[in-house]
Amino acid sequence: MPEEFLVAQDLHKSFSADKAVDGVSFTIHTGEIFGLLGPNGAGKTTTIRMLSTVLEPDRGDATIGGHSIRRDADAARKLIGVCPQELALYQDLSALANMIFFGRMVGLTGKEVRVQAMAHLELVGLTEKAKSKVGKFSGGMKRRINLAIALMGHPELLFLDEPTVGIDPQSRNNIYQTIEDLRDKGITILYTTHYMEEADRLCDRVAIMDGGKIIAMDTPHQLRSRIGSPETVTLEDVFLKLTGRNLRD
Amino acid sequence: MRALVIAFREVRTYLQDTADLAFSLLLPIAIFTLMYAAFGGQLLFQGTAHVVNEDPEGIYSTLFLERLRGIENLEVKLLSSKEAEERLDRSDLLLVLRVPKGFSNRLASGDPAELILSQRGDAGQEGQIVVSLVRAVAEEMGEEFKVREQVARALAGRNISQERTETVLQKFMDRERANPILGVQEELVGTRPDPVNMFLPGIITMFVLFAITLNARTLLEERREGTLERLLTTQLTVGELFTGKFLAGLARGFLQTLILLSLSQVAFHLFTPLTFAEILIVALIFAAAVSALGLVIASVARTEDGAIWIAVFFTMVMVMLGGTFFSISQGSPLYPLSRISINTYANDAFKAIIAGEGSLTHLRRELGIMAGIIIGGLGVGRVFFRIMPGGR
Ligand SMILES: Nc1ncnc2c1ncn2[C@@H]1O[C@H](COP(=O)(O)OP(=O)(O)OP(=O)(O)O)[C@@H](O)[C@H]1O
Ligand SMILES: [Mg+2]
Repeated sequence: MPEEFLVAQDLHKSFSADKAVDGVSFTIHTGEIFGLLGPNGAGKTTTIRMLSTVLEPDRGDATIGGHSIRRDADAARKLIGVCPQELALYQDLSALANMIFFGRMVGLTGKEVRVQAMAHLELVGLTEKAKSKVGKFSGGMKRRINLAIALMGHPELLFLDEPTVGIDPQSRNNIYQTIEDLRDKGITILYTTHYMEEADRLCDRVAIMDGGKIIAMDTPHQLRSRIGSPETVTLEDVFLKLTGRNLRD
Repeated sequence: MRALVIAFREVRTYLQDTADLAFSLLLPIAIFTLMYAAFGGQLLFQGTAHVVNEDPEGIYSTLFLERLRGIENLEVKLLSSKEAEERLDRSDLLLVLRVPKGFSNRLASGDPAELILSQRGDAGQEGQIVVSLVRAVAEEMGEEFKVREQVARALAGRNISQERTETVLQKFMDRERANPILGVQEELVGTRPDPVNMFLPGIITMFVLFAITLNARTLLEERREGTLERLLTTQLTVGELFTGKFLAGLARGFLQTLILLSLSQVAFHLFTPLTFAEILIVALIFAAAVSALGLVIASVARTEDGAIWIAVFFTMVMVMLGGTFFSISQGSPLYPLSRISINTYANDAFKAIIAGEGSLTHLRRELGIMAGIIIGGLGVGRVFFRIMPGGR
C-alpha cells in the first residue's frame, strides 16, 4: 500500500450563501495522478485553492506530507507547486525572468535557479523563447510557461488546475508529455479538468465532483465498468448516468 | 532576500514604463517651470533707466553711464531727445534722465553740472527707484570730485605732476569703491521668498505623493493578474511581500526626488554637499512614509479603480492642506488642518534645508512625525491585509 501524501477531510467553503465546496474528502497516494473531474462551478478550483493554502476552509482540514494546511501551512507550502487555472505571469518579464523570479520565491538561490529555469523551459519546449516577453506569447505558450513555473524547486506535489484549457493541440500534447514525464519521476499530481478523455489518459484515479460534492471516486476503468462495458462506455456517460446531466452544457 | 527580489522587479518595471516615468518626472518639471515663469520675476526689482545723452563724447558722461550700468537689476536704455519727449507725452514713459550738452566740460573745468530728470506724475514705483539709484551714483561721483579738488588744492605748488596725483587718487578711489568703509549688506529675514523655495519643495512632494497611486495599484494589479495568489503558494511570507512592496515604493519615490533635486541643484545651486545629503535623508524618509501609506490603500481597496480613487482623494487633500502652492501661516484658520497633512512636514523640512535654516537636528519633529507614519502605515496595512478577503 503506497504512502498517503495528501489527505483531505471534509473540506467546506462557502462564498456568501453559495456552497462552493460541500464536504469533500479524498486521499492521494505518493506518485499518483489523481483527477478531479466536474463541470463548471463544481468546486474544483476552490478545493485546490484551499489545499494550496490560499483560501482558508470554513470547515475541515487536509494534510500534505503530514503537515496540516491550517496549522502548519508554511511546511505544507514547501512541498507543493501550483499551476493555477488562470494564468499567473508577469507579462512584462521574459519567460526566463518569470521562471527565475518564482524560483527565488520557492527558495532557490545562486546558479541552481537558472539551471532549473532552463531545464523546465526545455521540458515545455520553450528554450528558444526564454528571452522573449511573456506578454507577446500565444495562449498555448503562456499555458506552458504557467505550468513550467509550477515545477520550479521540484515540488513533491503538483496542483494542476485545468492546465490545457483553451489551447492548440500541439501545446496540449506537449503538456500531456510533460505530465507523463513527471509521473515517471514519481511526482504526485492533483489534476483537474472537464475533458474526460484527458482524465482517462493521464489519471490513475478520478473523483467526479458536482455541486461541491464528490459523487464518485475510482479508477477510470472501474468507473466505466460500473455502467457497462469499459471498452465502449466513456467517462462522459458515467457523469450523465450519475447526474442526469451532460458534463458540458 | 525574497523581499529584495520583489522590490527589484517592481522598480525595473517602473523604469521601463515611459508613461509612469513621464508622469513622475517630466510633469513636475513642467509645472515648476510654469510656476517659476509666472511668479519668478515679480519678487526682485528689475528696472530700466531711459537716458537721453546729449554729451555723447564726454568722459564724465560716459563714466556716469558706465556706473549706472554697473548696478544690478538696472538696465540702461539710450533714446534720442525727440523720442523721449514723444514717449513722455504719451505717458509711455514716466521718467527720462537727460545728460545735458557740455556736462563733462563743466565738470572738467570745476564748474557745477546738473543731470536732469524729467518725470511724469510721480514717475511710478519703478521710476522712483530709478531716481534714487541715479541720485546715489551722482552723489558718489560728486564726492569723488570733491576729494580730487581738495587733494589738488592741498598739493598745489609742491611740484608733483598732476598726472601722478591723478593715478594715485584713482587707485585710491577704486579701492574704496570695491571695499567701502560703510557698506550695505542686504539680508533676507525668514525663508527666502524666491519662487524656487516657494514652489520647488511643494511640487516635488506633491508628485512623490501622487506616486502613492502606483504603490496602491501594484498589489491589486498582482491580485487581478493572479500573481499575488501564486506568490501566496510559495515560501514567500506576507512579511516579505510587504517589505518588498514597501521597499519598491520607497525606491521609486526616492529615485524620483533624487532626480528632481539634482536637476534643481544644477539649475539653482541650492545646496552645499552637506545640505544636499541632509535633504536626501528627508526625501528618503518622506518616500518611505508615502510608500507605507500606499500599502494601506492597497490593503483596504478591493479593486484597482477603488485604490486609484482613494489615492486621488487622499493626495488632493494632502496637497491642498500641505501648503503646496501657498504657505499657510500660523495665524491662518487653515493652520490646524494643515497639521494633518504629511506634505506639510515634508515641505517644512525641505524649505528649512533649502533656506539654510535647519539641519536635521532642528527637524526632529518633522522627521519624527514622518517616521511615525511609516511605522503606523506598515502596521495598519498589514492588519487590513489579514482581515480583508483573499489576504492572509
Ligand atoms: N472568489 C469567489 N467569490 C464568490 N464565489 C466564488 C468564488 N470562487 C468561486 N466561487 C463560486 O464557487 C463555485 C465553485 O467555483 P470553482 O471555481 O471552484 O469551480 P470549478 O469547478 O473550478 O469550475 P471551472 O471548471 O469553471 O473552473 C462557483 O459557483 C463559483 O461561482
Ligand atoms: Mg476551476
